[in-house]
Amino acid sequence: MTPRRRTTALIGDDNTVVVAGKSLTWRTLHKLPQLPSPAAVLVDNGADALAALRHHAVHGTELLVATSSRVDQRMREELGESGFAIVLPDGEVTPARLKRVEESGRAWLLTSGSTGRPKRIGHTLESLTTVTGDQPPRTWLLPYSPGTYAWWQVVTLSLTHADQGVVVIEPDELEEWPSIAATHGVTAASGTPTFWRQAIYRDADALAAVPLEQLTLGGEPVDQAILDQLHEIFPTARISWIYASSEVGASIVVHDGKAGFPREWLDRAPDPDRPILSADGDELVIRSPHHGAGLVGAVHTGDRIEYDGDRVLITGRLDTDEINVGGSKVSAGIVRNVLMGHPGVSWARVFARKAPLVGRMVAAEVVPNRALGPLTNADLVQWCSSRLPDYGVPRRITFLDEIPQKETLKSDV
Amino acid sequence: MVTLEFGLMTVDRGRVREMMGEVMTSQGRTLPADDTADLRAIGFRSLDFSELALRVEDELGDELNFDAPGLRRIATVGDVLDFIEQLQTA
Repeated sequence: MTPRRRTTALIGDDNTVVVAGKSLTWRTLHKLPQLPSPAAVLVDNGADALAALRHHAVHGTELLVATSSRVDQRMREELGESGFAIVLPDGEVTPARLKRVEESGRAWLLTSGSTGRPKRIGHTLESLTTVTGDQPPRTWLLPYSPGTYAWWQVVTLSLTHADQGVVVIEPDELEEWPSIAATHGVTAASGTPTFWRQAIYRDADALAAVPLEQLTLGGEPVDQAILDQLHEIFPTARISWIYASSEVGASIVVHDGKAGFPREWLDRAPDPDRPILSADGDELVIRSPHHGAGLVGAVHTGDRIEYDGDRVLITGRLDTDEINVGGSKVSAGIVRNVLMGHPGVSWARVFARKAPLVGRMVAAEVVPNRALGPLTNADLVQWCSSRLPDYGVPRRITFLDEIPQKETLKSDV
Repeated sequence: MVTLEFGLMTVDRGRVREMMGEVMTSQGRTLPADDTADLRAIGFRSLDFSELALRVEDELGDELNFDAPGLRRIATVGDVLDFIEQLQTA
């Protein structure tokens, strides 16, 4: 007997979904033909990702959805060996190498591990839907990359609640999202602090024309300056920041307009519906009811906290390997490997450098191999551009005459 | 580089334009001579703007203060040059 599949009540099936300027609903979105299960659906646009998600919700399939650029050949092979058929943006399907029984209703998310290799975290639509109860009618902006935790948060809210429309912003529309949002009456938007900063710097008037009632920030440390700037532009809107990740789900939600969270939230009495926050030294530790599969109990988040009076601020990653360039994450180790792969490079160190608009940029120090002739900045930029996403290409490269002494003693580059 | 009368250093507009051209060239593009050229049309994006700011900081030997100036629209090459100029005197 075939086991019965888990399907989800699509309360939001008639909610508006705007893709590529066209106003549809979840129900009238195009359908993807014959999606296998388990499937890793790799997309190059937001509309296909939504169609894959709805198919998953209707049929109770096992799904991983991600942009094709996030899943390299090695990971595709790993997914195939784990039982996933790979569905490419053009519809081509590579059957799974391992035949196994599907986990009905399982949704897989990819996250970035400290080494830069994405990890697979198991969820369900239920565990990803952290907003409960009646919600005021809203039209949400969806600027996130398909398959990320933040993307799942917005799309599950829209699909499982009434009157929660979404307006999809494709990557090539990111720089002009306020005009698209104003056209389609977006009233709620979630983005990283960098996302908001870019919008303010590009055209604050265009941003102010968006009829926002709810602004949410997350995905990187949220500072007081950006909260204050947004409050100045949207004085009557609710401005919230959220700490969320694939591993622990949405665990901290702050609505008081201040950076950080109240210190009294640490080590509160257990409550089955509320995450328990604690500190291990300067690391944030969370036990969350919204955790991914197999992540029961305390999760050491790798995020550093600092105390500021009665607030607890989350300042960044303990492990500096991950460089966050405007919300896109890249591993310093991977960039270093690419640089070191150039025949003219003897040594390289890759690090984050504070930069306006994008928060951090990738920078590098390089020692050229003199035996192979002169090496220029342009040579390395070109080399990296063909091997890394644009945000991972070092923009400032300094050439050193010799390998620093530290390198010969330690390997902490 | 020029020195302001109260002793602070600043990178002049012509030099900033030159650096903007270097940023564009390293990305395989060309900076037009016209200051009214639209940034979106010439493909000068956030990462390019950030790189330009770092180049200016490196030449100044100091960080630019992005929190000081008021909110404004940056749509053309001239807007970028004006903005960097404003940042240096903020």
